[in-house]
Amino acid sequence: MLEFLISNNIVCHAVEAMLFASLSCSILGVIVTQFNVSSIGFTMAHAAFAGAAIGMFAGINSTLAAIAASVLVALLIGPVGEYSKMSTDSILGVFFGMTMAIAIFFIAYMQYLGMGMSATALLFGDVVSLYREEIYALAGISVISIIFVYLFYKEISALIFNRKIAEASGIPVKPLYYGILFIIALAVALSLNIIGGLLLFVWLVTPAAAAYQFCHSLKSMFIVAPAIAGTVSVIGALAGLAWSLPVAPLTAIMITSVFVVSMILSPKRKISYRKPY
Amino acid sequence: MSSHQKPVISLKNIYTAYEGAEYPVIRDVSLDIFPGEFVIIGGPNGAGKTTILETINGLLKITHGEAEVLGMNVSSKGNNIRKRVGYVIQNFAFDPMTPFNVGEIVLMGRYGLIGPLKKTGEKDINRALEAMKVLKIENLKDMPIGKLSGGQQQKALIAQSIAKDPEILLLDEPFSNLDLLTREFVSEMLGEMARKGCTIIIVSHAFDALPDFDIRIVAMNEGRISLDETCSPDEVENKIRSISGEIQNA
Repeated sequence: MLEFLISNNIVCHAVEAMLFASLSCSILGVIVTQFNVSSIGFTMAHAAFAGAAIGMFAGINSTLAAIAASVLVALLIGPVGEYSKMSTDSILGVFFGMTMAIAIFFIAYMQYLGMGMSATALLFGDVVSLYREEIYALAGISVISIIFVYLFYKEISALIFNRKIAEASGIPVKPLYYGILFIIALAVALSLNIIGGLLLFVWLVTPAAAAYQFCHSLKSMFIVAPAIAGTVSVIGALAGLAWSLPVAPLTAIMITSVFVVSMILSPKRKISYRKPY
Repeated sequence: MSSHQKPVISLKNIYTAYEGAEYPVIRDVSLDIFPGEFVIIGGPNGAGKTTILETINGLLKITHGEAEVLGMNVSSKGNNIRKRVGYVIQNFAFDPMTPFNVGEIVLMGRYGLIGPLKKTGEKDINRALEAMKVLKIENLKDMPIGKLSGGQQQKALIAQSIAKDPEILLLDEPFSNLDLLTREFVSEMLGEMARKGCTIIIVSHAFDALPDFDIRIVAMNEGRISLDETCSPDEVENKIRSISGEIQNA
């Protein structure tokens, strides 16, 4: 897609993948952080990680297995939370531990069997060995995320503001909540190979957290967060490939640095010493 | 209220339970409320006052009995009811950095009415502006909600509820953060809404500012209605106090 800008195919694919993964994750990250359920991103990332590991073990497409696992966890979070009478955060903790254990179990077992498991890509991401279809899928989920937020912006904003008030206004809160979880699950599963299960959380939380330092409206957060994530991810991919550095970890460090700077410069914490007269 | 009118709220032998609770909070409550009535729900803490509000707008599960609001079954049509019923919640605490301004919050009151996949129109924006003007907070339109005082936030939430032009307005402790003058002003505004046909149901412990017409008192105790009568605004406090005293001495 960006061949007209970057002639080297490998670099071009890496930049495209990082750009699209960062767009979808950071847009959905605004919802995740503002809804105070950052653990959702963490849990989904590890569910996808476990799914991919099972997929590799069973000899089926690891991306499809990752999608299936994260969607399954997304569908289970609500009912299990309601049934067990526990907070969403506690349920997410349970799922996180379980999925992590499943992933590690299969990776360790495959190594024991000498199956030559390439777990590093799942953990830390791999932007070099990508299929074109994976990039198209990432572009697709980015477009879906943008359209979803555009179409349901008013419902999402009410849900973020106060779930009870949103429900009392007549907004169908439950279907919307599951819709959000479903799209997060898809975005996380598709980004797993590029960013890695351990680093996905950075893309889901940090750009939105950085945008929050400057933005006074939710609308602007939906623009600033993907702008930060997209710009830093493209620079990270180019720099990583130019200097043979691991792209996803390098970009994660860069995004975190942006957050630290934005936190220091945030106008929201400044106290005005001006006198009114 | 006139018996030939159809009630806007009709509860028949209702039991409402919170998830996980051993016993229902609301027990065998029957209540008919008519259009334009101004109802104050009183009673001691834990009597079921908030629960009855959340039963009326379908936020809580009814385990027994039948409930109809605006001619719709509460258990099956809760979402449709909530589009036409305003609800001002009791406990709210907004993060000072929350990325919403007052104008957005008030407009949110119309979101359920507008429905999914439709954008807010000029009519919605104008209605939100009118609601802010009624509450005298139009000058706070662009202020982040988290930076406002408790009273200003309360007024924003009341404006949010009236922006949807509710047929029934439920208010849970709406005066708790307001000073006396504002209480009088908000109370008069609610009275005006009742005169125009909107049913007002308030859970409150503040009776020093009530509109100047007959008020129906529904006192609750241990999930049951212990008093249901109509009186003048001057009598409300004494009636609620006497029933609360009786409950404490019992």
